[in-house]
Amino acid sequence: TWGGFYVVGAYKMSDSAESPTETQKEEIHPPPDDSATNDDKKKIDVLLKAVGDTPIMKTKKWAVDKGRTVQSLAQFISRFLKLDATEQLFIYVNQSFAPSPDQEVGVLFDCFGSDGKLVLHYCKSQAWG
Amino acid sequence: MSCGVLDEEEFSRCCQLLLHHSDSVGDGWSWEAVQSSDEGYLKKTVLRSVPADQSITQKHKESGSDSEQFDYCRFKTEEQGVNGSADSLRPDVEDEDDCVCRAPGGSSCSSVLQFEYHVLYSCSYRTPVLYFRASTLGRSLTLEDVWNSVHPNYRLGLQSRPLDAITQQEHPFLGQAFFFLHPCRTEEFMKPLLQMTWDQNRPVNYVLSWLSVVGPMVGLDVSLDYVTLQQPTV
Repeated sequence: TWGGFYVVGAYKMSDSAESPTETQKEEIHPPPDDSATNDDKKKIDVLLKAVGDTPIMKTKKWAVDKGRTVQSLAQFISRFLKLDATEQLFIYVNQSFAPSPDQEVGVLFDCFGSDGKLVLHYCKSQAWG
Repeated sequence: MSCGVLDEEEFSRCCQLLLHHSDSVGDGWSWEAVQSSDEGYLKKTVLRSVPADQSITQKHKESGSDSEQFDYCRFKTEEQGVNGSADSLRPDVEDEDDCVCRAPGGSSCSSVLQFEYHVLYSCSYRTPVLYFRASTLGRSLTLEDVWNSVHPNYRLGLQSRPLDAITQQEHPFLGQAFFFLHPCRTEEFMKPLLQMTWDQNRPVNYVLSWLSVVGPMVGLDVSLDYVTLQQPTV
């Protein structure tokens, strides 16, 4: 059989992401008790639910920018859960369907949101191979 | 369905539901029957513009002595050694005349590629399997083109053990060389999802759920409107 792919350098999934304690603070944060600061036009409420034996996040409800991508959210959750590089995180809407990594959460909210929030299930798995 | 796998009959049922939706929205999936039997596979052809990744070319040129040889690569069917550290392919000298010519300095432009995706059933793994191949309109294909179609989200995982992930495989029905995404991980990532939906009495379309996960890994987008798909009756 044919040999396979060549690998260039070390592509890090988290290359483009900041640490959760820095700029992400602005974009993702637990909704405050006083919900007036949640700008309805720019952020949506996301409820994260773990699947299988994936660790449960201490904070499950997050206000997320509508334009944030699924991939970005997956990276955030991975870092939050301290998953290592060999672990892959999958995100599902409607408990059954993995949206494209480039999909914006705002679009998912429009399609699948109910009771003012978008429920997303997340599940970790060993990366391929 | 149970334990992260499905039988062939259910595979066919899931595919027919998927096809029904595809027909209604013009998404382009078709069913290729095998010898007029119930057996068959899903097929879809997509045209995509893929920019050649200049940074990959230049990075590789700096990385070592193998790099000068590696301005191109070919889909190959014979055994080829893999460099343990760099995982680079050695060029096929006999095909030099047919090789891709890159302009000096690694400049590159986008090209239009035709991707063909086939969803088959694997009896040994009892899961669907995704086969795909790409051909070009106008110039020789490089491995990088296919690699660039893999979403960055998944590249690290796929890169770390490429031999176990995307490999070249003979299509079981067509006998032609395709790439395929190895099914060894399918049961593992499908199992928790199926368990959860089973526990909540919300059976899913296995093929659709699986495809939504693996499709983006190889550049295949599965539209959100498939979520409205009816579940197969158990």
